[in-house]
Amino acid sequence: MTPTELAIARLRRDLTLTSLVKILLFAAAVFSFFIETIFGQHVIAPSLALSAIAIVWILLSYRSMKGTRLAALSPALIATGQFEQAEQHLDLALRSFSLFRTVKLRTLHYLALLRHAQRRYAESALLCHTLLSQRLGPISDLTRSTQLILADSLLELGDLPGTYRALSSLYQHHLSLSEALELLAIQTDYLSRIGVWQDILTGLPRKLQLAELMPSQKSARTQALLALAAQKTNRPDWESYLRRRVELLADIPELLASRPLLSHLWPPNP
Amino acid sequence: MTDQSAANLFLDVPALLQRSIPRAPGRRFAYVAGAFFIMLIFSLLASAPSAPLLPQFIAIVGMLGLIVAMGIISTSAARSARREQNEMQAAEELIQLRRWDQAAIMLDNILSRPARSPQARVQMLLYLCAILARYHRYTDVIAVYDHLLELDYQDEHAVHALRLGRAMSILHDDRLYDADRAIIELRRDSAAPNSAGLALVEIYRDVKTGHPREAIDLFHEKLPLFRRHIGHRIADAYALVARAYDLLQLQPDAQAAYESATLLIPEPELHRRYTEVAALAGRYHPASIPTEAP
Repeated sequence: MTPTELAIARLRRDLTLTSLVKILLFAAAVFSFFIETIFGQHVIAPSLALSAIAIVWILLSYRSMKGTRLAALSPALIATGQFEQAEQHLDLALRSFSLFRTVKLRTLHYLALLRHAQRRYAESALLCHTLLSQRLGPISDLTRSTQLILADSLLELGDLPGTYRALSSLYQHHLSLSEALELLAIQTDYLSRIGVWQDILTGLPRKLQLAELMPSQKSARTQALLALAAQKTNRPDWESYLRRRVELLADIPELLASRPLLSHLWPPNP
Repeated sequence: MTDQSAANLFLDVPALLQRSIPRAPGRRFAYVAGAFFIMLIFSLLASAPSAPLLPQFIAIVGMLGLIVAMGIISTSAARSARREQNEMQAAEELIQLRRWDQAAIMLDNILSRPARSPQARVQMLLYLCAILARYHRYTDVIAVYDHLLELDYQDEHAVHALRLGRAMSILHDDRLYDADRAIIELRRDSAAPNSAGLALVEIYRDVKTGHPREAIDLFHEKLPLFRRHIGHRIADAYALVARAYDLLQLQPDAQAAYESATLLIPEPELHRRYTEVAALAGRYHPASIPTEAP
């Protein structure tokens, strides 16, 4: 298992190395045009020097694909809970050389996803911060999902101002449906922690429709928080409706263990 | 035009299965590699000290052209991959939001041309199954699942999920003998003991074949599994078990289960999914939903 700090250090080193290799190859390509002027006709013809550089570029690109393939397998492994295997793939991907910085950055994103799934939130947040401080270029779509992982990690760590900053930056983006679902779950959780109950209920029918599309536990938790908001704002009809739905969807003691705040809805038996 | 007839106009399943097969990879790459090899030979010949200046110039320009062409090809390949990814995401969202006719049009369009990768094609065929099932075209759904199962999968969970979808469609299609065989096959999977999907298929089979007691017992046994794995689809299990109670003339239990089902999923949607549950319409009250938004 790669320690997170080491993974970040390795990423920074590899990004520098990648830039250096690219600059060197480009400089060599430019230099090859003047090779005859400088050394005369005895060394190597410009076209051959250019061919050699092209071959090196192709070989390095081919080698870079190995890392891409390795990293691409990890999201499915994380989703199915095979963390050990995902860890191995990401470790290999981080160690392999890549000519393209996007491959390395994407791998780091998957590592953040893995750490989040492993509930190692401090490391996940650190990885997200590192990733967001980089220029993502053609993979800028990763910004949104990284912000979401960061927001959730900070929320789990109890860093409410940090969560607010991460959430507010997401409102500037156009989100996909799965990202919108993720945002709703985190936002509801965040608002319940700062006790803004009326805001939680704003647009309730739409929020309910979205919650129905979430995975089991997340859906149950979000609806339970909506039920709690209904209780706090004196809406017994909605509270009862939502609470009954949650009771069908989730194991209540498990839910209470993850969010003790919800014990207002299901008080412990005396 | 109804949704059903609209879907029948397109979604020609055999044609889509054929047209969506990805093109053999590397044809473009082979052309570029060939051109590169030719340019290399040409450069070698042109680099002889006695060679005139023009061939040397052509060799340099040719090699530069080739490098630029390679860059353009890889950029365009990346762009098409991104486009396909976006289309897949859009189709998935339309299905999740139950905009079936739009999703059907989109998938008909996407699957009418070769997919960029076998994985993307599999994903889109799974979406196609969801749409076809929505329109009750179960024979077509089974054909797609059969096609997918013929592909060589390494992942046991993926195979189990495909077999589940196939078994459910066979049941919907009232092919009870085939469904029984499909369930026996499913039970042999390593994922079977923890499969909420398999439990749902078995409950449906029991309701369909008139074994309500078995359906009810299985439902209670597997309830924790349903809660953990199938989210709001747990309403399907409640709806089927309501039908099972109804078959046993246990009206209060049927009422409770029916209310639970309709608490999670609207009544018409459940009736559309299971004709057996539609038989309960009007006989049991659905759950009441607060009408006034907070």
